[in-house]
Amino acid sequence: MLNRRSFIKKTSLGVGLLATGAFPFEGFASETKRLTILHTNDVHSRLDPFPQDGGRLAGLGGVAARAALVSQIRAESDNVLLLDAGDMLQGTPYFNMYKGEPEIKAMSMMGYDACTMGNHDFDAGIEGFARLLPLARFPVLVANYDFTSTPLENKIPPYTIINKGGIKVGVFGLGIELEGLVSRAAFGNTKYYDPIQAAKSVSEKLKKVEKCDMVICLSHLGYEYETNKISDKTIAKETQYIDLIIGGHTHTFLDSPAIQRNIVGADVVINQVGWGGVRLGRLDYTFGRKKDAKLYKSNSVNINKETSVD
Amino acid sequence: MRAALIYILVFLSVITACHKAYYAQSYSSRHYAVGKNDMQDSSYIRFLQPYKTRMDSTMQIVIGRADTTLTKAQPECTLGNFVADAMLQAARQVNPKVCAAVCNYGGLRVPYLQAGSITIGKMYELMPFDNALTIIEVPGTILVQWCRHMAAAKGWPVSGISYIINEGNTVDIQINHRAIDEKATYLIATNDYLATGGDKCNFLIPLKATPCNMFIRDVLIDYVKGLSNINKPLHPYIENRVRYAE
Repeated sequence: MLNRRSFIKKTSLGVGLLATGAFPFEGFASETKRLTILHTNDVHSRLDPFPQDGGRLAGLGGVAARAALVSQIRAESDNVLLLDAGDMLQGTPYFNMYKGEPEIKAMSMMGYDACTMGNHDFDAGIEGFARLLPLARFPVLVANYDFTSTPLENKIPPYTIINKGGIKVGVFGLGIELEGLVSRAAFGNTKYYDPIQAAKSVSEKLKKVEKCDMVICLSHLGYEYETNKISDKTIAKETQYIDLIIGGHTHTFLDSPAIQRNIVGADVVINQVGWGGVRLGRLDYTFGRKKDAKLYKSNSVNINKETSVD
Repeated sequence: MRAALIYILVFLSVITACHKAYYAQSYSSRHYAVGKNDMQDSSYIRFLQPYKTRMDSTMQIVIGRADTTLTKAQPECTLGNFVADAMLQAARQVNPKVCAAVCNYGGLRVPYLQAGSITIGKMYELMPFDNALTIIEVPGTILVQWCRHMAAAKGWPVSGISYIINEGNTVDIQINHRAIDEKATYLIATNDYLATGGDKCNFLIPLKATPCNMFIRDVLIDYVKGLSNINKPLHPYIENRVRYAE
């Protein structure tokens, strides 16, 4: 399998070079590109699978199973991104005892590309999270928190840019309002800014200035609310340059990604995969040169569907 | 020389211009139930082993049993009634005048507690936060406001209180089966997260609060152990503490 794939890769590289005369243009032979996005949210320190106690989540989740799945997908696809939308921490005694060390180490081992911060990622205090950062071999992104005069100052960038197989992907993070949700002792001097304004300016910068082909928002705002509280749906509606929102916080199990029209009527994809690491989300995109095409959704099949999950 | 420079500049601009944008054309989605196909990367099991061994030595200790599966739901649930009852019992040992207990629904961190053995670890998962038991002095008017807040949030676990949710508002608030007296002051057991304004309970901040120096989690552990000591299983019931108007 691998041999065949590397043969194809080498061959297509050769063809590509021939087609372009080895000139440093991007080859006509590679007009279609593919990108696979894997994602989690609200894993909440679930390093082990749910216990075999007869409950409806029994046996689901766990880093060993997730890692095996991620490896298998990486072996089958070339351009894979692995992202998390926050609340990696808190929820099992692992966190009470080790304050996030095994969670972040496991994510580094698995090769996560980026994550954002959830409200529970403040649960060991800002100092506690700052102590974990050296263990993270991936950036933690938040565009609407100001960490000036905190132990996280200059350590949480608003966005990162990842080049995957010729596709330039801009990824940024959005955090939820902390006041009234996280204790002041835990978030300290962290300042929260309007996520809509932050999303507008960062996504515009990524698309227009940085010329990203795709802009992904990692959001811990929550999928949607009955009140006018800002959610992923609000962010999608109010902005122009976001292609995909990977959400969290509301522990929403979406059967398939939601589509929300943005401010200029283009489709934004929103996805969230519940909580506890029982589900791994996957989105496969194709890219081409055609501008302003309607985003086409092809059929999706869910693998090993869980029984009822909350 | 000058011509060469211009050539280089033109060449560079051509290269730059050729970083033509790609546009998403189509996507497909799927999701995987992690752990459903028995595929595991054993290097992660080995990595976790030292953490797990130390953790399990305390967390796997059995403290009692439930003879029914406790579930998390709104407006009222057995998991919430267990937590609120345990808080009220513990607070009454500190001050017998405490009349009721309130816990935030979002503070229950597991969707169910399966019937069978209850371990210390399961109590950590249900209540992982180091939230402490706190007794607050709540004027009747503020308690009405609090109940409305709970109703707007579709019902929070309570013990010693009952109320009916009617279109997001509350009617028929009763404290220990008697209509609420807005002129009275009630001693209510809650957690320090809410008492300090958490979950948008900023109206509780000015109230007089007495900390009990007990984690809610330890309160739950003691409650289960207490039942176990008298050979009783944990078995909370739905008692129409919180319900929707018909």
